[in-house]
Amino acid sequence: MTETVLEEKKVDEKWEPKIIAFLCNWCSYAGADLAGVSRIQYPPNIRIVRVPCSGRVNPYFIIKSLTDGWDGVVISGCHPGDCHYISGNLVARRRFAILKELLEFFGIEPGRVNFMWASAAEGERFAVLIRKATKIVKQLGPNTKFQKEWC
Amino acid sequence: MDQKILKKNQIGKLYKELSGEYSFFAPINKKGNIVFEKIENAEDIILDYLNSKIPPKSVLFPQEEVLFEYTLDDKDIEITDRQDLEQKYLIFGIRPCDAYSFELFANFFSFHGDWKDEIYLKKKENTTLIGIGCNTPRTTCFCTSVGGNPFNKENMDIFLSDLGDSYLVEGITDKGKALIKKLSWLSDATKNDVKKAEELAKKAEELITTKIDVDKVVENLSTCFEDPVWDEISEACIGCGSCAYLCPTCTCFDVIDETDHYNNRGRRIRIWDTCQSCLYTMETSGHNPRDTKIQRCRNRIMHKFSYYPTNYDLLGCVGCGRCIYVCPANNDLRVILDKIKKIEKKEGEKVVA
Amino acid sequence: MGIETSNKEITNSIRENAKKLLSEDQVDVIIGYSQGTVPLSSTPIIIRKEEDVDKLIWNNLCYINLARYLAPLMPQLCDSERKPLRIGIVAKGCVARAVNVLAAEKQVDLNKIKMIGFNCNGIINRSKIDQEIGEKEMLDVAISGDDIIVKGRDWEKKFPYNQYINELCKVCQVKMPSATETSCVGECQELDSIHDEFSDITDFESKSADEKWAYIKDLLQVCTLCYSCRQACPVCYCNLCFVDQNKPIWFGKTTEYQDIFTFHLVRAQHLAGRCVACGACSSVCPVGIDLNFITRKLEKIVKNRFDYTSGLNAETVPPMMDFKMNDAQEFMLEED
Repeated sequence: MTETVLEEKKVDEKWEPKIIAFLCNWCSYAGADLAGVSRIQYPPNIRIVRVPCSGRVNPYFIIKSLTDGWDGVVISGCHPGDCHYISGNLVARRRFAILKELLEFFGIEPGRVNFMWASAAEGERFAVLIRKATKIVKQLGPNTKFQKEWC
Repeated sequence: MDQKILKKNQIGKLYKELSGEYSFFAPINKKGNIVFEKIENAEDIILDYLNSKIPPKSVLFPQEEVLFEYTLDDKDIEITDRQDLEQKYLIFGIRPCDAYSFELFANFFSFHGDWKDEIYLKKKENTTLIGIGCNTPRTTCFCTSVGGNPFNKENMDIFLSDLGDSYLVEGITDKGKALIKKLSWLSDATKNDVKKAEELAKKAEELITTKIDVDKVVENLSTCFEDPVWDEISEACIGCGSCAYLCPTCTCFDVIDETDHYNNRGRRIRIWDTCQSCLYTMETSGHNPRDTKIQRCRNRIMHKFSYYPTNYDLLGCVGCGRCIYVCPANNDLRVILDKIKKIEKKEGEKVVA
Repeated sequence: MGIETSNKEITNSIRENAKKLLSEDQVDVIIGYSQGTVPLSSTPIIIRKEEDVDKLIWNNLCYINLARYLAPLMPQLCDSERKPLRIGIVAKGCVARAVNVLAAEKQVDLNKIKMIGFNCNGIINRSKIDQEIGEKEMLDVAISGDDIIVKGRDWEKKFPYNQYINELCKVCQVKMPSATETSCVGECQELDSIHDEFSDITDFESKSADEKWAYIKDLLQVCTLCYSCRQACPVCYCNLCFVDQNKPIWFGKTTEYQDIFTFHLVRAQHLAGRCVACGACSSVCPVGIDLNFITRKLEKIVKNRFDYTSGLNAETVPPMMDFKMNDAQEFMLEED
């Protein structure tokens, strides 16, 4: 499993994806804040949910986001070794590995759910990675696989 | 002669004529399982089957059913009731045991007259049942032990007897007779056809090998609530609930609200539930009166063979045998009832339903 | 040797070992399989006395994973003070694996469990036979030589055994318990790891996302969410399953495809590193869904990522209860 393979799809140019981002309070959220304060532009498609640690992110959150209709999910935490709670992100990394493989196996496009590490001092890196994630999700098109009939 | 003949190759014509007015449900093959579904294409109808996996209760009492929908704004909640209850249903190919189960449903959904479940009762009123007698009952069938018969015509509107390449058509209720009159292209039956149907009925009854002394079971169940036989009976059970889901008389349901909070609306739905689930009797306080498998297994048998007779004067089992051949742990109902039959009656102990 | 002959030998060995355990007072009860009353089935049974050991059988229809009765421990396996009895369990390879997984998760005390081990020769694929026979009633299913003979009222059909066993049994490498001599009577071996190429699912994995989605939708669409698979699974023992949670409700319980899909996906996530590939989930499914491919994928993930195979012993820490600084993270989003 290497690069996310972008499938050729015709997507309406005007459509903007809605991406939910779970950011860990101590590193990634602060990194996003730094990007804002430093006036580094990053796409407004993401809606941020602050969690204490990336280890708090339950796979239920990710799957429920997809079933609720979010087009993309981003989870960001501290670099391994820098977790405020020592090992929260290490626990999360294994969880994410399994979840990503299973999501791909079940037919959800790789690229809808992304994981990244970004520290509090990496405002520029945060913006770059969010720009990349938004571009990937935009090319995948709207998330229609999970629509319930009455929605 | 009132009886008519419907040739098997005329089923497509029957479908075409009736599908405009009715939602036509008949058995189809869904990945190896016979289920009753709405027919879009007459070629999907299966005529050569023993009985469906999922009972036809799923037509009128589906696994998930919307009770009402609602929208929210700042001040009010606006509720929209079901608008589609005038739709007419036609269930083709139902077996006598399953048709009888609708009688038991009528009791459950009208609670002896105190409160009526409008949704189910309205749909049943608008339903026509066309049943087919069982020429070859399974070895697990025991409808004759619970007051039924493989050629029981009582609970149908129209009854069909399978004569080989055609069906003998008999109208039972006024609704059924009126429908037959509408199908004026049906040819008349001959005396031979009627005689053949009677012979098939007799042969089918003889083919039922499973006989259960249900009266003794009902009698014993009124006093054996605390008997240690239940430990043995519930040993193999894995608590999956397959028996309840595939039982034509099981009616328990759970009610949940599904919300679309992004759009301030939601709907209340009911979904099938089973007393075999460990949380079925979980109370808000956290107390669970049936928290062991033994109690839950016991409850199912008591409900069908003791509480039903006490409350409704009817047996809660139609003898279809689905629970027997579907149970993954092979907890055979016949073996269970046999064990109960053999208990010695104790004086002084009485269970209150 | 023929399947029929080895079944007889296995049955005898189980009965002898069971008799030995009971007569030497090494166990209080024995859980095993007894003859089923309908074709293609067997009934789990609890034996307490020596004279009942002849009720124990082995045929290729013993698909229930007996470790399922160990967690949560059912009252029939406890004494009057709700303490666990000493239990002897008829263990094919995957049952022993499940017992080891439960022991690693501290759900059972291995000191109180004795496995009656034997070399399993596979489980018949019930739904495949069911589909081939169709809507005729089966009256008897038996093994004769190397064939499965299915008899009806006035017909008979033969199936070659090797082609009609469960897909998981075809590629199984842990046919007898992986356990120590102290915890097992009968046949067993101590395995450290197994070697598996998982070539049966690599074809599927090379399809596009839309093709995979369509394939899995077609497979799971008939699911009635009866939860038999969850109930039959030996490692699904949560007191409150995620589908039953209502503060908040995470996922719906209707049979619309969205809810069916999320149930199977989340259950697979919970089974990662714990699933023992016994195939009970597929065998018990009342509508005959073949969940084996999910099982194989779970085994592949933990083998390739963490070099781990579940249930080979009770000491190795399961991968989801552990972490390492240098875990692979090639799936992370990185700057170009």
